[in-house]
Amino acid sequence: MLNKFDIQIRAEQEYAVLETAGYLNDSLGEQLSKKAQELIEKGYTQLVINLDKTALINSIGISILIEIIEALDERNGTLNFCGLSATQERTFRMMAIAKYAGIFPDEKTAIANF
Amino acid sequence: MNLSSAEETIQRLIFSLSELEQLGQTLISGHSNFNVSSKTYLRITLGTLQATRGAIFCFHPTDNYLTIAASTPEVEIPPIEIEPDEVASLLECTLIELDTPPKDLQNFINRNSERLNGSAAHRLWVPLKIHEEFLGILSLGKFLGRTTLEDWEQELLTILAHQISIAIAYSRIVEGIQSEKFRLFMLAESAPQICQLLQPEDAAEQVVHQAVALLDANVGGLMLIHPEQQNLELRYAFPETLISENGDQDEKNPISISLKDVETDTTEANEKTEFDMLAGVVKEGMTDRCAFKTETFFGGKNLMAGPIQGRDGDILGVLVVGDKEERGGRIAEFTDEDEILLDSFAKQAGVAIENAHLHQEALEARELQAEMEEARKIQENLIPETLPEIPGYEVAGHYEPRGPVGGDYYDCIELSTGGWGLAIADVSGKGMQAALLMATLRAGLLSELTSSKVREESDSIDMKNELVEMAMTLNSLLYVSGTEEKYATFFYSHLNPETDTLTTLNGGHNPPLIVKNDGNIVWMGQDVGGLPLGMFPNDMVPLIAKYEAEQIKLESGDLIIFYTDGVTETVNTEDEFYDEERLEEVAKTSTDSDASHICNLIYQAVMDFQGDADQFDDLTLLVLRKK
Repeated sequence: MLNKFDIQIRAEQEYAVLETAGYLNDSLGEQLSKKAQELIEKGYTQLVINLDKTALINSIGISILIEIIEALDERNGTLNFCGLSATQERTFRMMAIAKYAGIFPDEKTAIANF
Repeated sequence: MNLSSAEETIQRLIFSLSELEQLGQTLISGHSNFNVSSKTYLRITLGTLQATRGAIFCFHPTDNYLTIAASTPEVEIPPIEIEPDEVASLLECTLIELDTPPKDLQNFINRNSERLNGSAAHRLWVPLKIHEEFLGILSLGKFLGRTTLEDWEQELLTILAHQISIAIAYSRIVEGIQSEKFRLFMLAESAPQICQLLQPEDAAEQVVHQAVALLDANVGGLMLIHPEQQNLELRYAFPETLISENGDQDEKNPISISLKDVETDTTEANEKTEFDMLAGVVKEGMTDRCAFKTETFFGGKNLMAGPIQGRDGDILGVLVVGDKEERGGRIAEFTDEDEILLDSFAKQAGVAIENAHLHQEALEARELQAEMEEARKIQENLIPETLPEIPGYEVAGHYEPRGPVGGDYYDCIELSTGGWGLAIADVSGKGMQAALLMATLRAGLLSELTSSKVREESDSIDMKNELVEMAMTLNSLLYVSGTEEKYATFFYSHLNPETDTLTTLNGGHNPPLIVKNDGNIVWMGQDVGGLPLGMFPNDMVPLIAKYEAEQIKLESGDLIIFYTDGVTETVNTEDEFYDEERLEEVAKTSTDSDASHICNLIYQAVMDFQGDADQFDDLTLLVLRKK
């Protein structure tokens, strides 16, 4: 169900995965941004955002994702996305997100491509 | 100024120039998002001016409030409301000493001093602005080794504040462009995507999802007009709280608004409900938006609704979005641009929804046609191809399918004892259900005729009672096999050719016509007619109209015509029924012919009567004549 908002974090030594569930709007986006910032502050520079359980993203969600890309870029870090629907992938390419972050079909490939 | 302080000033100036360059670099680095770069701007400003505390507040013009973008040390401050006249006062200032603020801002500072200063202990404010646009406040606290800034430091602070203002404005422009780009892309992308969906439920879900995302809304819904009931019925809502936990709406109680009861013209603006608003959108065919005092049944307070139109311009329903969110979680009102956007999207949604419904209707029609063909095959297999020869009698039958598959049935069954069973029936309803009920009736009848005493020919058997028992058995069988609306009219005759006795039982069927050899007419079973089979349970039958059988003796030349209502209720182009009188007339004039010929004569007479008029009920005839 799209109504269930959640963020799962799987932090390994070299990287961390943030998996969202639900509508990526301001509310979920702010939570995601906060968790990403915390990881960046801890020294993580390789992050994966898994959007497999997020079917819906609005413009605020997009701007928050751009913000995370910029925050990581300041630390010379890398952000990879995975689990995107075809429409989301097209949106990311059109919004130039794909220029500054990697897009991969699944988590395993996203991690392997840091 | 002594030499050491002059050297220090020169060094700080050189440092400041280098920091200013860094500030410029940050601005052109491509890091447009001020939420990310604000910390860098604050760090450079504090370092340049040797300040230990500070914060940057950003102004949100749509709702007049300030939020903290960066602070040293880091503090969390909730949004601060600011009045328009206070914004105007800030725009007039360059630097504000918080110990001696301008009168116009005294109230604002007092109101928020705890929140604004708090642990930050700020002393100086610099309004951030470009031309006459207020963008925020740069707030500074303690300065190392001094309490005030020198003139050149104040000039430097003004330059730094201007750089920060440019960064905020740039960030907003880029955000605005990104948002518009996103919306345009979503609008262009959504049309082909939703038009590919062939299931109405999928189309409704996608339309609502796309509209919610497109307009940064928190809630949304699609309501479509039920053409017969003149209701707006909820087809999908986001979030799905209006839909039961199993993912479906309660089909018996879909959330609906009656369009008949809502008076859109007379409703006062402050009494307007979301139902009035939606009914108004349907009535006017125009997008509308409204802020309600309490939460609406979609879950939000600020709603915007647009009409969903089909290709020919008919209003199919309403697309609703609610509670547009802003960065920071505040709910904003929908704008004129949002209205145009919803309108454009609703036009695409209308085509998609209409496509999905047309596809569904075509599928259902195809399925119905296939079912009808299957039912027709079942029914035709139940009608005898030829009728047996009964010693001393002529028998003939005719079945004419007309329109949708009905449930007519007739049969002539030879019993093992030498007797004959003649049955005619008309099952209610059409299609597969009717065909299956007819098959059940026939199976039940055959079972009864081969297993019960009805088949026996003996003086010891009271045939009338046996037929009543058989009727009760068949009634029970059909009652448990169908629904209240599924029943069969049934007329059964047991012929003993040795005694020329015809024992009959009528279960709510059209009374057969007897033309006696002397020309007299008798309508059978009119006075003893029982209920159609399967309409009521057995224990209720005696309370309403119990089954009764009657017996007649047949003589040479006697003619019996069994028929279904497809004969007497055939209509002509004048909308007149063929009725019993016309049947009687034809029957009277054909008593000298054989059964087969009489059957054809009646059929032809009915066909001549109907002319070009459309018929929707099957026609069945069964003719028995004693030689």
